[in-house]
Amino acid sequence: MGGVVHTTTDFSAPTMAEGIAQVVEVEGNTAWLIPEPGSSCGGCSSAAACGSKGIGTVASRLEKRRFQLVNDAGLSVGERVVVGINENAVLRASVTAYVIPLATLLSAGALAQSVAGNDFVTMGAMLSGLVLGLWLSRIRAARLMERGELAPRFIRRASMGETCNS
Amino acid sequence: MKEYALLIISAALVNNVILARFLGLCSFMGVTTRIDTAVGMGMATTFVITVSSMADWAVETYLLQPYGLGYLRTVTFIMVIAAAVQFTELTVKKVSPPLFQMLGIYLPLITTNCAVLGVAILLVEHKMNFISATLFGFASSVGYSLVMVMFAGLRERLALADIPRLFAGPPNGFIVASLLALAFMGFSGMTA
Repeated sequence: MGGVVHTTTDFSAPTMAEGIAQVVEVEGNTAWLIPEPGSSCGGCSSAAACGSKGIGTVASRLEKRRFQLVNDAGLSVGERVVVGINENAVLRASVTAYVIPLATLLSAGALAQSVAGNDFVTMGAMLSGLVLGLWLSRIRAARLMERGELAPRFIRRASMGETCNS
Repeated sequence: MKEYALLIISAALVNNVILARFLGLCSFMGVTTRIDTAVGMGMATTFVITVSSMADWAVETYLLQPYGLGYLRTVTFIMVIAAAVQFTELTVKKVSPPLFQMLGIYLPLITTNCAVLGVAILLVEHKMNFISATLFGFASSVGYSLVMVMFAGLRERLALADIPRLFAGPPNGFIVASLLALAFMGFSGMTA
């Protein structure tokens, strides 16, 4: 009677979410990068190189998302690199940006509705709650930044032909 | 209070935006290849739908209905949604530029998400008061986010499964989506 072989597959999520970015500027020990967005069409590499940089174009949006890295790896302009952020960073960022303001908005609205029962009062309370929530999320975002939890990290140089979809 | 609890359960689970009303299917298939992108998209959509529900209710109640401009509803709501997305984008950018760098990519996609317009039209059709409209928008978008994250989790696991090549990717995704929709039909028994 043969022994039963138990095979297990590791379904645990990777600890880093990776993406590809291109170095657009190097200033001393700081490199500025623009991310290549993932897309189902596979045209991520051409998006930054297409030359159209009008308002609302993909290129202009990428320009807005410029970020910096400490250039310990000696990166030069035009190089494509794989960068990563902690997998939980997106969750933490989303909670900070959206959940905190929504929670204060809805709490203030529910409180006002139960006390006053008037639509105008509820609207005013919700707006106040939103402003309070945005202030709280600003404080939390500053703390996350101080701890370096929102900053992307250099992982390796991207190989030839490697895309954000591969 | 019970009325609000039922409204939330109904909007989030029984009449789920994606699996019962079949709205927002483009983002449902397009942004659910990874859990982190699904979470980012889901939370951004939750915020925008809630804010635009409030704004759409106010526009409908104080502008469109009193002046008999109901025929402009769809156009007006699209404009309000675009403004809500722009407001969210500017606010996140102002509150924290690093957060905007991380999450800003999801926001433009929400403008063209039919779930946002669908929820706004539904809350007007049901003639809700302000707090009910806000809760309906919030609960609908929580249901949307829940399904997005569940589906992303399933797809991440299915990506590792050994299945025929023809079924890999979107075909398999559609089959899983249909099974999820069948599972969610079970919630409709809760109100019978």
